[in-house]
Amino acid sequence: MASLQLCLPFSSTSRFRYQPVRCANERQALFNRIAPVYDNLNDVLSMGQHRIWKRMAVAWSGAKIGDNVLDLCCGSGDLAFLLSEKVWPTGKVTGLDFSEDQLSMASSRQDLLSKVCYRNIEWVEGDALDLPFSDCFFHGITMGYGLRNVVDRRKALQEMFRVLKPGSRISVLDFNKSTKPITATIQEWMINNVVVPVASGYGLAKEYEYLNSSIEEFLTGKEQEKLALEVGFSTAKHYEITGGLMGNLVATR
Amino acid sequence: MVRLSKALLKEAGTGLSKTLSEILVCPLSKKPLRVCEETGSIISDSIGVSFPIKDGIPCLVPKDGKILDIDDTLKDDDAATKRT
Repeated sequence: MASLQLCLPFSSTSRFRYQPVRCANERQALFNRIAPVYDNLNDVLSMGQHRIWKRMAVAWSGAKIGDNVLDLCCGSGDLAFLLSEKVWPTGKVTGLDFSEDQLSMASSRQDLLSKVCYRNIEWVEGDALDLPFSDCFFHGITMGYGLRNVVDRRKALQEMFRVLKPGSRISVLDFNKSTKPITATIQEWMINNVVVPVASGYGLAKEYEYLNSSIEEFLTGKEQEKLALEVGFSTAKHYEITGGLMGNLVATR
Repeated sequence: MVRLSKALLKEAGTGLSKTLSEILVCPLSKKPLRVCEETGSIISDSIGVSFPIKDGIPCLVPKDGKILDIDDTLKDDDAATKRT
């Protein structure tokens, strides 16, 4: 990732601050607060690379024409829109999130973008830990930057397993909790000295300071693979991308 | 599952699509849901809870469900009986 070359001002006094956000209500409120600038910030902070990561996540899901697919923690809908292009014209996409404001953004974007394939997307406000879907319903599930944010990752994976058709895949994209010290250091530096200063320009410094602590609390790739297998998936593989800054878990029921 | 047509729901402003009405179940019991015509909400009879629909988006977060009291349940049953 070339972003270390960015000439952005940074605070020499910035340091890692532990900011646990454990309660689901707090996380819901956080995502409601950042909803208005979420898309713009994602573009700025990743220099547009999040679009590539999300295309990779969708490719890994195996979604194809005619499939019924689910995007969990859909936020403002990036992954859902990409999925709809894959499953159109006969497939359907359901985007689920617990943030009313993020879903409102997603719905507005759906109307504004007005691509005909986006008409096959439906939005549901729900909890990734208690999915309102029947067993073995979906041909594929994606989750982008959600697994790190749910309060019970085992339960989230159990619910994904439950609603997935046998033989289908989940594709879970998120920050990578690297076991390599140099990667972890670079990641922490970038969050403290790039992400948080940029976010503070949007008045959201506190909301993005949460990132470092949530990555600290997250599972490594190996731990995610182990958990997926424990929950019942037949295969589980975690791929590191962009020099190990991001990762994508792919598991098959 | 949902007993009302999409057209009726759209007129009522509830706007729950046919697609969603076919795939959604109670988030807690995983049993079928139904839409209440009067309140424009989604009812889970299995647990006696109603969930709101806002701008066509069903809100099925368990903590946002409203426990139905017995009067609400009886009113809904009456309405359902009249419809059939």
